Amino acid sequence: MRIILMLIKKEFLQVFRSPLLLSILIVAPMVQFVLFPFTADYEIKVLDIAFIDNDNSTLSRNLINEFSASSHFRSKGMIDSKSYADKLMKADKIDFLVEIPQDFEKNIISQYGTTIAITANAINTVKAGIGCGYVQTVIGDYLKEMAENTGMASMSDNAQLFMTNIYWYNEQMNYKNLIVPGILVILVTLIGAYVTALNLVREKEIGTIEQINVTPIKKWQFLLGKMIPFWILGMAEFIMGLFLMKLIFDINVQGSIPVLLTITAIYLFVMLGLGFFISAVAENQLQAMFIVFFLFIVFVLLSGLFTPTEGMPEWAKIINYLNPMSFYMDVIKKMVLKGCEFADVKYQTITLAVMAVILNTAAVLSYKESSK
Amino acid sequence: MPEIAIQQINKRFGKIQALKDINITVENGEVFGLVGPDGAGKSTLFNILTTLLKPDSGQVEVLGMDVVKDYLQIRQVIGYLPGVFSLYPDLSVQENLSFFATMYKSSILDNMSLIKPIWKQLLPFKDRPAGKLSGGMKQKLALCCALIHKPKLLFLDEPTTGVDPVSRREFWDILKDIQHKGVTVVVSTPYMDEATRCDRIALIQSGEIIKINTPENIISNFKGHLFTMKSNDIFGLMKLMEHFELRCNYYPYGEHFHIAFYDEVEKALPVFESFLQQHEREHGEIKPITPNIEDCFIELIQMK
Repeated sequence: MRIILMLIKKEFLQVFRSPLLLSILIVAPMVQFVLFPFTADYEIKVLDIAFIDNDNSTLSRNLINEFSASSHFRSKGMIDSKSYADKLMKADKIDFLVEIPQDFEKNIISQYGTTIAITANAINTVKAGIGCGYVQTVIGDYLKEMAENTGMASMSDNAQLFMTNIYWYNEQMNYKNLIVPGILVILVTLIGAYVTALNLVREKEIGTIEQINVTPIKKWQFLLGKMIPFWILGMAEFIMGLFLMKLIFDINVQGSIPVLLTITAIYLFVMLGLGFFISAVAENQLQAMFIVFFLFIVFVLLSGLFTPTEGMPEWAKIINYLNPMSFYMDVIKKMVLKGCEFADVKYQTITLAVMAVILNTAAVLSYKESSK
Repeated sequence: MPEIAIQQINKRFGKIQALKDINITVENGEVFGLVGPDGAGKSTLFNILTTLLKPDSGQVEVLGMDVVKDYLQIRQVIGYLPGVFSLYPDLSVQENLSFFATMYKSSILDNMSLIKPIWKQLLPFKDRPAGKLSGGMKQKLALCCALIHKPKLLFLDEPTTGVDPVSRREFWDILKDIQHKGVTVVVSTPYMDEATRCDRIALIQSGEIIKINTPENIISNFKGHLFTMKSNDIFGLMKLMEHFELRCNYYPYGEHFHIAFYDEVEKALPVFESFLQQHEREHGEIKPITPNIEDCFIELIQMK
């Protein structure tokens, strides 16, 4: 016991004496919280739009004015040819082109039906998709309004369809609510795997591990003496993250905080085990860094932070069964935003616990292998 | 019972045979030196003795315990100073020492007697980070950490490599002091001159033990008649010597040239002198000298 306490004390002494590590631990989460949610934002603020009006009637002009009135669009004016529109789009001057056909007014009034062509710059698929929705809403609203004003019964199908969306768990469809808990996950992962792996490999590099190995302490004592300090750091980081989340974004944890902390504790053990395992394999800090970096990118991309896991191909879903981060991301989203109970995340928790046991066993064994 | 009994051990790393049929016994209370050039297998042997590495075959007993089976008990009673400084550079002198004391379930105060003379020198720097100490001081701190649990056996892997001559002499005085306090010392060194400070030495080359004896006996067993002379073109002289016919052994030694004759001196020396004259070689006076460990080492390698 005295030995483990001493190992923990040593680790904390080293952490608090390393200004770089300390500032990474404290400043990094702050910066991530302040910068990331504002930049990783799917909300489209302003779309540049241009028009080709082949009808040039009152109705078509009113429709165009309707776009200018909308806060989502910035009108770039009228264009007379498609080829010029193409040029503008290539130069990133416009995002959308709305083409109103000849006899637009006539066809509408005679209830004949008409087609409006919307061309979108789909380089950014998210922007194109969301923008198209906006365009349709503006046109739909306009036609509806016109029907009411003129008293015409059914002007088009659009006019009769009332679409209302209610977004559950994220009522304003605020992307920060999705990204901010995601950053919590990233933070915990980095402390767990990255800092631990680098710390252990450093002991290898400066040779202190050899000096430790000739002392009669046992492998599990040594690993526990490493694990506990970084586990504590990880938990502290997570709690700090929860406070920042509340402070900056006013996001309250909907589910039970003790359950959330328990699952985080388990997840941290998974990441600590991973960090140890990597440090047993890697010979120097550079190698360790590359391995963690590679895994981290794969984990994040598959975790469902940026794109929903449900939309991934079958093989990616299978890989995801090995991705601890995707399970934990799921838990965090459910606990923080949805307010789920433990029963709802039981399966994820058990999976994480199994991963923790496997990875830590592998780590201990590989350490045995490398030194006696 | 010997302190260390090494029997027929072999160790191989891939294609390289690092150790080959090593047999050594180290007696209680002696300073035993492992002398050999870089890459001879000294560190590998040390790693086996300190339980960090398993031999492929053969048996090693340290204080009567098997290095493979009883490694935890062995670790409790040996001290090890690795070749490179390996303490925590960001912990202070005192913190390093109490850290390692705790790892051995002991404390600084318990075992002051053994390390007192060294610790006194370190005391003024006790709050300084170990990484900021001078080379000599680092060495002393590492020695303190290796002795903090009063080991019966102390292993030092090239402790004086890269240390200045004054500090080296001082370090050897410390080792002698430790020996007098009842600790058996096993030390490796690439410096032949340090070998004479050991009670017994083992000469090791390419993973094989060439000779084990006291330094005095090794020197008195020198077979040849050794001469030295100055020469300002040693390289040319070395080439020329390929044509010399008498049985001899020659090599550059600093700015000198050493030659050992294996025939009768009275006959050999005049032949050598006339050989030099015949090739119009300028040279300094040819003086007989007593061989040192290095000369013996070279002779032993040549004879193999």
